[in-house]
Amino acid sequence: MKFVAIIRQVPDGEAKLKEEAGRIDLSGATMILDQMDEYAVEEIIQLKEKHGGEAVIVAFGPERTKEAIRTALAMGADRAVFVRHEGDADPITEARALAQVLKEEAPTVVFTGGQQADWDSYALGPAVAEVLGWPSVAWTTRFELLDEHKAKAKHDLDEGAQVVEVALPAVFTTQQGLNEPRYPTLPGIMKAKKKEIKEIPAEELGVRGAKVEILSQEIVQIERKQKILDGTKEPEKAAEELVKLLHEEAKVI
Amino acid sequence: MVLVFIDHDGKKPKKGGLEAITRAREVAGALGVSVAGLVVGSGIGEVADEAKKYVDTLYVADAPEFADYTAEKWTAAAHAAVQKTGAKAVVAPASRTGRTWTARLAARMDAGLLEDVLELEPSAEAVVAKRYTFLNRVLEKQKAAYPVVISIKPNTAPLAEPKGEGQVEALEVALGELEQKVQVLEKIQEEKKRVSLTEAPVVVTGGRGMGSAEAFKLVEELADLLGGAVGATRAVVDAGWRPYAEQVGQTGKTVQPNLYIALGVSGAVQHQAGMNKSKVVVAVNKDPDAPIFKETDYGIVGDVHQVLPAMIEAVKKLKD
Amino acid sequence: MALDFSLTEEQLELQKLARRFAREQVAPVAKEYDEKEAVPWPLIEKLHEIGLLNISIPEENGGLGLGLVEEVILGEELGWADMGFYTIPMASELGITPVLLAGNAEQKERFLRPLTEKPALAAFALSEPGNGSDAAALKTRAERVGDHYVLNGTKMWISNAAEADWTVVFATFDPELRHKGVVALVVERDREGISFNKIHGKMGQRAAPTYEMVLEDVKVPVENRLGEEGEGFKIAMLTLDKTRIPVAAGSVGVARRALEEAAKYAKEREAFGRPIIDFQAIQFKLADMMIGLETARMYTYYAAWLADRNDPRHIYASAIAKAYASEIAFDAANEAIQIHGGYGYVNEFPVEKLLRDVKLNQIYEGTNEIQRVIVARHIKKHIP
Repeated sequence: MKFVAIIRQVPDGEAKLKEEAGRIDLSGATMILDQMDEYAVEEIIQLKEKHGGEAVIVAFGPERTKEAIRTALAMGADRAVFVRHEGDADPITEARALAQVLKEEAPTVVFTGGQQADWDSYALGPAVAEVLGWPSVAWTTRFELLDEHKAKAKHDLDEGAQVVEVALPAVFTTQQGLNEPRYPTLPGIMKAKKKEIKEIPAEELGVRGAKVEILSQEIVQIERKQKILDGTKEPEKAAEELVKLLHEEAKVI
Repeated sequence: MVLVFIDHDGKKPKKGGLEAITRAREVAGALGVSVAGLVVGSGIGEVADEAKKYVDTLYVADAPEFADYTAEKWTAAAHAAVQKTGAKAVVAPASRTGRTWTARLAARMDAGLLEDVLELEPSAEAVVAKRYTFLNRVLEKQKAAYPVVISIKPNTAPLAEPKGEGQVEALEVALGELEQKVQVLEKIQEEKKRVSLTEAPVVVTGGRGMGSAEAFKLVEELADLLGGAVGATRAVVDAGWRPYAEQVGQTGKTVQPNLYIALGVSGAVQHQAGMNKSKVVVAVNKDPDAPIFKETDYGIVGDVHQVLPAMIEAVKKLKD
Repeated sequence: MALDFSLTEEQLELQKLARRFAREQVAPVAKEYDEKEAVPWPLIEKLHEIGLLNISIPEENGGLGLGLVEEVILGEELGWADMGFYTIPMASELGITPVLLAGNAEQKERFLRPLTEKPALAAFALSEPGNGSDAAALKTRAERVGDHYVLNGTKMWISNAAEADWTVVFATFDPELRHKGVVALVVERDREGISFNKIHGKMGQRAAPTYEMVLEDVKVPVENRLGEEGEGFKIAMLTLDKTRIPVAAGSVGVARRALEEAAKYAKEREAFGRPIIDFQAIQFKLADMMIGLETARMYTYYAAWLADRNDPRHIYASAIAKAYASEIAFDAANEAIQIHGGYGYVNEFPVEKLLRDVKLNQIYEGTNEIQRVIVARHIKKHIP
């Protein structure tokens, strides 16, 4: 069986963002494998360890994305297909390109992040599934491969959750709690250097511009009042003062 | 025509549905067309009676197959309505399910997808939308030409007012092989004692600093006193002190209440992504260096186990 | 053109992994282990899991066969998060190094491979209650009886000891011979007659376990002897010539942490209506911290590079690096506290721990006075 994880490289959540002429400039930011995608990588490695077969990474993005691919390979994935694309792309455009890769790979199961920390989009997983005519399950918290053709999954809805049985191949998006992603290991890092990364220019998959154009980006900072009281010595007094401020000044209680 | 998906609780449209209608009307206005609504479910006559007051035509996909949500069925229903109406724009609430099936629909229609939209500037040619990206830290302006699929971020649009009696039409949805591929085996209801987290005007969140599951009794007490909901951080949920349903943050829920109270929460960026648009933020933490204080309007540096009971007392006193 | 300060791609990956591990796994629990004075075994296990424990063990014995440059990369990151924790893997390498230097193929396989297969530690026992710096004045006796040695005596300040699978014990078979009478023996923990007493009340590095090791008629087979009888002292010195470089690396990590914490605080803290970083008194302190950090890091890498190439200059270079880095790190921690004012003196902020921890770096693996003796010895011999 073949298991695929679709990943993105995103800025580290702790990284300070810079704005340059109305666009976010990521040149100085620490870039990492998206943390929601990390669950996807962990899941396909576990599936491979349990059922045998191959764990394959599929990624789309600029040249630097290779660092995130290496991390996923160092965690234990076997090889990668990298669709190189500089500039903006929207999830639907990316999904169309990746669907062609997946069609060729013909995996049993595909996982990807429930939401990636750069474009805050939920769309990639379901859109890939749609283009391929496969079912999709979003925000998966539990996954069980029943056989080559069936899986059982629990996933979050707006309120509550559902347990579903899904005919494979299918695309699943991750939710926290699905697993505990492992660290790449130092031996794994060494081995990852020798693993194959097949590179495909996005143009070869017919990517010409995006359906959604980004007009501007602006870092938002809500100015906070930052009235911080000292409650280490007289907690009761500080609490009373706080409630008073919330009532009289902020007028929220 | 503009198609708006109206979600519901089995009886009437949900708040998210009414917000989506507001935005759908804006788009319809720019295009000079009417608004068609879509409701999907099983045994939803009551919903249709209410929902038709908001739209020119209401399409009702009411069948036993729609008793349980799957992205494939909802996409099929929406696509059937698009084909029937020739809608150039589809508007839906950006709930978890909404953001999933709209992605499928956009791919099926080969449309642009504007997700989790705060504000819209529609014209006759295209829709410009504002939305947050980079874990809610960046405000992004995006533009997509028609056809377009738009999901509306909860709590960002005014609720639509009813405006008459729309025409009701049953929608036939042909379900094929794809829609059979996901079978729902079990539904798990969220425990709901208080107001829903995403709609609550006040959210009281406990973090790792609470120390134990038992300590959350006081968090609940304060939330109840303020008519709010209880939230939890990822660490708390991972420790099993509170259910996932209460998690605020990137992997949990995004909240935007009038008052957000963070107790013993250090304030990792992933947490802030779920709450940093709250109107007033209050934090109590013993670490004066905790990142949450940078996102705070009113805060107390101190032991939450001493401060929280005192806050409860103070609120009680205020109410008397 | 040969001069090149860049790290290889693998080394950069190692740095990234170590940095992530230090930030996500070590730093958040450093305070807790310091307070509890407990051994962070869960961290040791995780370090093993990701392949960063006992990294010098050769590939033929199941390890990664990494050198001191890699150890320095790791040491800076772990020292940044918790110097006390870093001392544990560092002291394990201190135990491994004599086996690498003087062990035969059979001994390497027998002692080193198990340390790659599970989270396990080694240790090194040279100091005694009555002698530290005067290492040749050993009192622990190793009496040869047939195919065994019988060990009697007490070893002091032994990092890891009771936690380690085995300890390289240095003992004398003839005190008259001074350093020529020393033998190095690998002593497994479960041998009869060994007892350990944990040393409590340490000022810092409280996550690192330190023991008194008492040896009473402990029988050790001749096969556990590293090198020949009489080579023990040389083995110990050759070991320390290399392993004080990681002490320097840990110090660099502490100095970097001190600078980061102080800079962060100075940018946020306001006095007289502006951030205190705008005041020259603070700026000069921070600048001095950075001067110390950058020069110490550069020199530590240099010493590691020499040692990895077996260049004899590493003997004095490692001494310079150890003394210099531990001193600039102590100063940096001290100034970080000063910049924090009263907050720096309480344990809500991490800077007071930096000072308590890094004080030990000026003492262990040869006090900084001994490092100066080594440098002076070089001057006497080689500088005209």
